[in-house]
Amino acid sequence: MCTPSQLKEVYRPEEEATGLVAAALKQTTSRRGLLTGALAFSVAPLVGWLPASAATNMTFSEIAPGVFVHQGPHELQSPQNRGDMANASFIVGNDSVAVIDTLGSAKAAGDMRAAIKSITDRPIRYVINSHMHPDHVFGNAAFKGDGVQFVGHHKLLRGLDQRAGSYLAGSKAMMGEDAFAGSEVVLPTLSVDDRLTLDLGGRKLELEAQSVAHTDNDLIITDSATGTLFLGDLLFSGHIPTLDGSLRGWLALIEQLDRHEPARVVPGHGPHAMTLPEAMGDEQRYWSTVAADVRQLIKEGRSMTEATKTAGQSERGKWEMFDQYHVRNVTAAYAELEWEE
Amino acid sequence: MNNKGMETHMPTQHAPSRFLFTLLAGTIAAGVLALPPAARADDDMWPSLRKEVFGTRPIAEDDGVVIIDAPERAEDAAVVPITIRVPPSVKGPLKSMTLIIDKNPAPVAAAFKFGPAAGEGGGERRMSTRVRIDTYSNVHAVVETADGKLHMKKVFVKASGGCSAPAPKDADADRANLGKMLVKSTAPALPTTPLREAQVMIKHPNTNGMQMDPISRGYIPARFVKDMTVKSGNDLVFTAEMGISIATNPHFRFTYANGGDAPLTVTAVDTDDTRFTGQAAKETVSQ
Repeated sequence: MCTPSQLKEVYRPEEEATGLVAAALKQTTSRRGLLTGALAFSVAPLVGWLPASAATNMTFSEIAPGVFVHQGPHELQSPQNRGDMANASFIVGNDSVAVIDTLGSAKAAGDMRAAIKSITDRPIRYVINSHMHPDHVFGNAAFKGDGVQFVGHHKLLRGLDQRAGSYLAGSKAMMGEDAFAGSEVVLPTLSVDDRLTLDLGGRKLELEAQSVAHTDNDLIITDSATGTLFLGDLLFSGHIPTLDGSLRGWLALIEQLDRHEPARVVPGHGPHAMTLPEAMGDEQRYWSTVAADVRQLIKEGRSMTEATKTAGQSERGKWEMFDQYHVRNVTAAYAELEWEE
Repeated sequence: MNNKGMETHMPTQHAPSRFLFTLLAGTIAAGVLALPPAARADDDMWPSLRKEVFGTRPIAEDDGVVIIDAPERAEDAAVVPITIRVPPSVKGPLKSMTLIIDKNPAPVAAAFKFGPAAGEGGGERRMSTRVRIDTYSNVHAVVETADGKLHMKKVFVKASGGCSAPAPKDADADRANLGKMLVKSTAPALPTTPLREAQVMIKHPNTNGMQMDPISRGYIPARFVKDMTVKSGNDLVFTAEMGISIATNPHFRFTYANGGDAPLTVTAVDTDDTRFTGQAAKETVSQ
């Protein structure tokens, strides 16, 4: 399910690489004035679409100079997808590389690592997890031993550690021993209290810890060189959003996202890149609908079970994975909103 | 244990042992959790459970006095909605109601004893709550009618991991609001309707000693709401004795005698002996 705001067409893989870089540079320098010549030189040869090579069967699109995004399919974990069912990205600086999210298994992340190594010889220094969910963290193990820092929201450690047992068991059950082999919980070594800047050489990543929304440990990341904002699972597109934090917090956060004025945003599930404000439209409508329906049902004295049968049903057919997640979303929304007086 | 020939009627109340409600020691809990599922999935716990809770008193099963609603497969094993219903055809007061989750580490989730304000029928009587279910298990509801007879219904629920799952999505907010109570009473459409419905919600982590603390690497001590008293005016609606199977933020929704403007008051005590109170707002919600 693609949306009009999808940016793929801007950076079509078949486009001639140098022209693409020039266009991208013009766009970002005029907008931000931050991209250095050195960086432009360093990333120029890399721009373009990466075909599957002998070393890897995982594809990444370069959505902006030095910014690579892999789009996972909208599925549950399975032996076939090996937990590759979310988006994962990396950013190449002059000195080092930062990974944003590591997919759901060490094997999937091993392919991701191979893809990175086939593009750049700069060391991977930072592995950033946008939040605690298995499809964004269980590949961390594949990046161990590189002397990397694992970076996350200050509540990521607690959230992930408390859920480690059930996450490991759940993923293993869904994927099977073979696909999940080597996966483990790797806790953050560098935590973001409020904001943190990581210097990759020629470009900086601005990390901002968010208050409770999708989870209680959502982190958003802005690449200063290209104005690319990584929203993690604060943005779903096509794939139904899932609630493991606060519905009210999430809706409030959506209202505030515009102030970032990013050139593009990268969702946790959905296209490689999108633009604001259109990107948030579907998600905002979904949560507003669920909130309004659930509030009305609570007001009418309906139970949680009753609410799961009717609330937000007007959204059916507008999302992939609706049947897998919607009832859970309504349950979580109800448990939160029933405390409103 | 063979109970054949021992089904004598016991007039005295057989109180479930405290152990059936609670499982306080983290080490014991860990031991239970460490068992492979297969080791405890097959055997039927009910014969020994029913003996511990109800002694040798006869229990009528599926006689239409009690109905239990639960999801066949739980969306979230840490928050499984359960409703126990007594249909309008059953007349007269009820003495007690016991909710048992056979395979949970402490199987008795809650035992309710009803008072004069619980209502004597004239409509369907209901009690809903949300529980943790640790593994695929039978859930039993046993109702004691005024004549002292026990009536039972069971349902099988597919759920796993409910006891060790750290349920709170926003643990910090939950901790900050610990003890906050919300009590709502819903006026029926007609003032003469015999029963009305109310809801009691308590912000409480209800930790069960089976969740891990990420910093200390030890088990978070059990702390949960253990007793609750609900009154309509000066009359008792029910008392509840609860165990670790009640989900985080204990939630009860129930019918009781429509006593007009009598205020509904709730007192609850947790295992730290902290007392929480609440009262339904004067402005009742109308349907």
